Amino acid sequence: MAQYLKRKKKTSTQSFIMDMFIWVFLIIAALFILAPFVFMFTASSMPATDIMKMPYRWMPQGFYWQNYWQGIRGNDGSFIYLRNILNSLIVASTVTATTVILSALTGFGLAKYHFKGRHFVFMMILATMMIPFEVIMIPLYLIITKLGFQNSYQGLITPFLVNAFVIFLMRQYYVTFPDEILDAARIDGASEPMIFSKIMLPNSVPAIATLAVLTFKSQWDNLLWPLLVAQSEEMKTIPLYIVRFTAEKHTDEGAMMAVAAIASIPILILFLKLSKYFIGGATVFSARKG
Amino acid sequence: MIKRLFSPGIEHKKARWGWVFIFPSLVFFALFNFYPIFNALHTSLFRKKLLSLKPPKFIGFDNYIYLFNSPDFWNSIRATVVFTIGTFIPMVIFSLILANFIISRKRFQKFFQMAYYSPAVLSSVVVAAIWLLIFDPRGLSNQFVNLILNMPGIDHKWLANSVMVQISTMLVYFWKYVGYFTIIFLVGLASIPKSIHEAAKIDGVNAWTGFWYITLPLLKPTTILVSIMSMLQCLKTFSTQYLFTQGGAPMEPINVITLNLYHTAIRDHRIGLASAMSIILFCIMLFFTWLQFKGSRSDEVSY
Repeated sequence: MAQYLKRKKKTSTQSFIMDMFIWVFLIIAALFILAPFVFMFTASSMPATDIMKMPYRWMPQGFYWQNYWQGIRGNDGSFIYLRNILNSLIVASTVTATTVILSALTGFGLAKYHFKGRHFVFMMILATMMIPFEVIMIPLYLIITKLGFQNSYQGLITPFLVNAFVIFLMRQYYVTFPDEILDAARIDGASEPMIFSKIMLPNSVPAIATLAVLTFKSQWDNLLWPLLVAQSEEMKTIPLYIVRFTAEKHTDEGAMMAVAAIASIPILILFLKLSKYFIGGATVFSARKG
Repeated sequence: MIKRLFSPGIEHKKARWGWVFIFPSLVFFALFNFYPIFNALHTSLFRKKLLSLKPPKFIGFDNYIYLFNSPDFWNSIRATVVFTIGTFIPMVIFSLILANFIISRKRFQKFFQMAYYSPAVLSSVVVAAIWLLIFDPRGLSNQFVNLILNMPGIDHKWLANSVMVQISTMLVYFWKYVGYFTIIFLVGLASIPKSIHEAAKIDGVNAWTGFWYITLPLLKPTTILVSIMSMLQCLKTFSTQYLFTQGGAPMEPINVITLNLYHTAIRDHRIGLASAMSIILFCIMLFFTWLQFKGSRSDEVSY
């Protein structure tokens, strides 16, 4: 009996040490992940001479708003950043809206209508999921140039209007929707487009929200494509402005971080408000496993 | 019963609506996915210059032969492979550990999920800009490493040394995506029934054995998924390397395939060559996608 108690005590200290170890590990990992965020926001409110002081002062003394002014004003005083932010907002929201609506429509068509060639079409759409954007960007660039869409919103938006992955997920979502409800609506005289807009769309809000967040985020992040098609300063998006600002003004660290902070604040607010959909967006990928 | 209410005519009409709904997407896919991939394949067989008025000249597989004899392209393959291996292996291991640790906690699960996921939300250019300053000779990375090693005043040349700059790009990518894959592992872990762990506990299995012999085998599909997904993402890496070279880091050690592709097409205007490069990248990625399908088919786990 005594031996048993002793053993039990030993395992409980062992599990206590293990428990503490896990907490420490998780907290250190969290510090490692969050430190660059804190660095961005604190550095954006310090004069450049303070940022590169060793050791780094994590608590800024006062708020050095000149960084933000300099970041927005730009090096040439053209305030082009504001235009670039607007461009990013326009491109990301347009792509999000069209992708989600078109994908929902296509997903609905594939899930609920038994037309000939349906499986073939579905397989073709799945096949495009395997074509990475980086591989087709040069032909796309040539197409856009031929259409005269360079340096325009059309050029920035057009290649992303549909997305095979989003269609796939919408189809999977709609397949489980009961046919009886659709048939009941048909008996009541609803037309097919009405069924889509009045029944399917309202009933897929969570899926649509998740995919919308996913699409918006990837467009907000897009660098490669705008780099190809947007050469004029007026048509550049936020990532391009950051690249240019960094390359030109490498020494003004405070303003650089202010520019980065301005670009991050909208998406971080979205993240805090809609974290459910962001995290849902990460997990839709694992839905593919059986 | 309901079926009988509809005549075959209505069924037929209904089917037509299916085509109407998918038609717009199909047009876009044809124009912006299928045509470009065949176009890339076609262009890769020509000597074609951007902005040149001369008609492109058919040269067969010369572009591919040129690439396979080009030290510059082999360097890009090396840079991409080194980056991919150096990034995705630590990423899979750490996200697996973090997910297991998070799920073992009774409190603060949500906080850790949010905290770890947050870098994935930032745009990759912003991430690269932040780390560009952290890797400055006077920046946080030197201060931190020197604090741990207790040797103040040493510059580790994060962006100047050809080995260090590769490690730096890996670190940036690791930082950005480790939380993202942690979340995917958490979903996989949550789908393992609790009863299995409870049964193991009753049988006196300790935490480590339980992880090694129960959790890990059951998590195999998720692990394969995460590995391939992170690998495919690493193969396409562009933003970090691009911004680092723009910020003054040496090009050669981190000249990954996409960066080389971009420069060949846009700076050198060699469209044919760049297309050949993109087709090679496509083949590499296709191989890993095929591997994923094969892996996920043969490793179905039933609980």
